[in-house]
Amino acid sequence: MEAFKQFLLEELENKTAFTLDWFGGIAISQAVVVTWIIMAIWMVITLFVTRNLKVRNPGKLQVALESCVTFLNGFVKDNIGEHWRSFAPYLGTVALYIGLSNVIGIFGLTPPTKNINVTAALALMSMVLIYGAQFRYNGLLGGMKRFAEPMALLVPINLMEVAIRPLALCMRLFGNVLGAFIIMEMLKYLVPAVLPAVFSLYFDLFDGLIQTVVFVFLTTLFAGEGIRKEE
Amino acid sequence: MSIGIIAAGIAVLTGVGAGVGIGIATGKASEAIARQPEASGKINSALLLGCALAEGTAIFGFITALLIIFMG
Repeated sequence: MEAFKQFLLEELENKTAFTLDWFGGIAISQAVVVTWIIMAIWMVITLFVTRNLKVRNPGKLQVALESCVTFLNGFVKDNIGEHWRSFAPYLGTVALYIGLSNVIGIFGLTPPTKNINVTAALALMSMVLIYGAQFRYNGLLGGMKRFAEPMALLVPINLMEVAIRPLALCMRLFGNVLGAFIIMEMLKYLVPAVLPAVFSLYFDLFDGLIQTVVFVFLTTLFAGEGIRKEE
Repeated sequence: MSIGIIAAGIAVLTGVGAGVGIGIATGKASEAIARQPEASGKINSALLLGCALAEGTAIFGFITALLIIFMG
């Protein structure tokens, strides 16, 4: 048991991949390196998929790509309303990044979302998007007024939400990925063969994709809540 | 450390609330879909939001337990 605890503690550390020698040593953590790999993978896929786009007689790949983009646009449009256009690219990018980084555990790399700094950064970006949109589309005064909805009594709670929403987003993603990671490590320690493969299907693939959907969906919903007109 | 282990166990009890909450929400959602199958898209998105928020409490409990075990 002690040996396992030691092993788990080592696994939980945010490891440094290598150190740059400039300015007295900049430590590059593993999460950053895996993020670079993910970026490279998506870049290659993007270049490959968007080659030879045609207006007439589109190929199978182009039709699949178009239906994905249409799905994303429809989803954002349903939840945000008339100002959906400028949100769709950012939300799609975040979905692609989180999706691949949750699933990349299957290929033996450490998922970057296991590092709390990554999820905190994502949550902060979501917060800037939500409240930036609220002030951008309502004006300074209108944005302030949004905090007093549905009634003025709720102002403290709405102000508290400014901090609680990103905290919950960050912790939800981090906790899920970390929990799945720990359970998988325990399984691998107890039963090294066969069983981990079955459970990995649930914990790495299904749970990771569900968390991606939840993160993007919540960000979209909160952003839409801030700018939608009362009906 | 032994007291700390008990504290971690108590912190993980938040999972009970999340489990009950998600169970009730899913049950109601399937009832609603059975009644109005054409509204299943909207019901699904409301269910997903509710489940995500309910699950948050369990995650907070889990993180608290981890903090107690590894940092305390």
